[in-house]
Amino acid sequence: MNKKISEKTLKKSFWNWFFWHGCSQQAESMLGMAFAQSMAPVIDELYDKKEEKASALKRHTTLFNTEQQVGIICNGVVCGLEEANANEECTPELISSVKVALIGPTSAIGDSLWVATFIPILLTICLSISQASPSASWLGPVLYMIVYPVGTCILSWNLFKLGYKSGIEGMQGFMATGRLDTLTDTMTALGLIVVGALTASFVTATVPFRIVKDVYDATQGIVLENQVIFDADKMLNSIFPHVLPLLLTLGVYYLYSKKKWSPLKLMGLILMIACIFTFVGYATGFYA
Amino acid sequence: MEIYQIILIALFVYLGSIGSIVGNTIGWYTLGRPLVAALVVGVILGDVQTAMIVGIPLQIMYMGNVTPGGAVAWDLSYATYIGVTGAIVFGNGLDTAQVIGLAVVFAGIGGLVGQIMWNISYALNLPLNRVANKYAEAGETKKMFIPNVVMGQSIGFVCRFIPAIIVLTSMTAASAQADFATIIPGWVTIALGIFGGMMASLGMGIILSFLLKKKYHLAIFLAGFILVTYFSLSTMAVAVVAIITSILYYVAVSSLETKKGVA
Repeated sequence: MNKKISEKTLKKSFWNWFFWHGCSQQAESMLGMAFAQSMAPVIDELYDKKEEKASALKRHTTLFNTEQQVGIICNGVVCGLEEANANEECTPELISSVKVALIGPTSAIGDSLWVATFIPILLTICLSISQASPSASWLGPVLYMIVYPVGTCILSWNLFKLGYKSGIEGMQGFMATGRLDTLTDTMTALGLIVVGALTASFVTATVPFRIVKDVYDATQGIVLENQVIFDADKMLNSIFPHVLPLLLTLGVYYLYSKKKWSPLKLMGLILMIACIFTFVGYATGFYA
Repeated sequence: MEIYQIILIALFVYLGSIGSIVGNTIGWYTLGRPLVAALVVGVILGDVQTAMIVGIPLQIMYMGNVTPGGAVAWDLSYATYIGVTGAIVFGNGLDTAQVIGLAVVFAGIGGLVGQIMWNISYALNLPLNRVANKYAEAGETKKMFIPNVVMGQSIGFVCRFIPAIIVLTSMTAASAQADFATIIPGWVTIALGIFGGMMASLGMGIILSFLLKKKYHLAIFLAGFILVTYFSLSTMAVAVVAIITSILYYVAVSSLETKKGVA
């Protein structure tokens, strides 16, 4: 009598989510409609009566949101709970509350660990490959196009299955071990080193200020024309190489993170600095 | 640009946008990344080399583009496809730094158009909830794809594809008038070059806001920085060093915790 979701239905539910999780995003239910579509095959298999199907669908068209790739673990957990509910081992109220409770942590883990850390690291490696070999610069993006979707798909499927098999207890157990914190710390350190290297390699800023004068050389008794007697950029870089790009980046970080400036506003600021630098550079003969 | 090139690029703008029909894993997070977008545009327009020259700095600039809770600061797909296309179409006769600056400006324009369209589609999708609720009420499990995929994507496609066609067509028309390098004064191209170089700090600054959680994290960031400036390592070499270090760190910390647990 025990009802069980078949492998085929699980796969259908997985693919429904994998391709169409963002199709109808809006402010009212966020990914609610996509979630309902992902659950539809499962509901169809588990419940026989029309009323049961309707009430199950209704609880899944409500608000749902997560980082869609790591957050698919929610879908797995909900599949498990719906199965339990069909066997009368769970209540609809519990399903709804668990679903809502999972929104926060899965979004946070997905965004910080996968999207904000793993993707930049993979991109960095791929663009380093492109940069290192200009004749085969296509290699980097091609590598990314293969590694990222395939890797993410495998990860998502395994998380989905993990959620289904272990249910909510397994999820809590996993998060309580402390392993996740260690992993987050490690990935953060890895990301920071890489971002440091990227900042040093790609952010360029030069102080366009130098004093050029004709100098009288007393030892030889001749006038040397157009001698650079002061070069602000050279001086700064001899103290700490690339100090200006570093300060600029930390400044942008400060304004974005602490002062809550929008990226558009920051872009305007950078444009202004660029114009001022151009003006100063022309005025001091740096670009002439 | 030929008509088929415009249509192809516009199609990829749509596919790479957030919530397109191929899903965010293949769309937004793969086709929408500037590194990949640059290659796609390069292949379509037959200039992979220029495309990759601007694609790498654009990727750095938009590295911090994360979408927490669906808040889209930039429509990355629009920004990069338009940016790279602009650099190739108008970049004739400019040097590398200036072409990059040009790409950054066009990416800004594209990103803005994209963001507007995103907000429009976000609003237009609202009534779909009524349709979904109607089907849910009737228990129609087989019809749940209609509001989500069919209707949601019709709106998504129209909001992405058509504006992209308009933007690309106007770019083509403008480029036919004159060469960019000849009509723009020298100081503008210099300012563009400086701007392009500095814009990379935006991407890095935003991504730092996700990673810098404790004060000492700044030291780790500096470690990566000086490996390049003082030790002249390439970013690839630093990435390898970072991966090795982090594996050792993970193993060390995990074994330490296990020992603590036993004691």
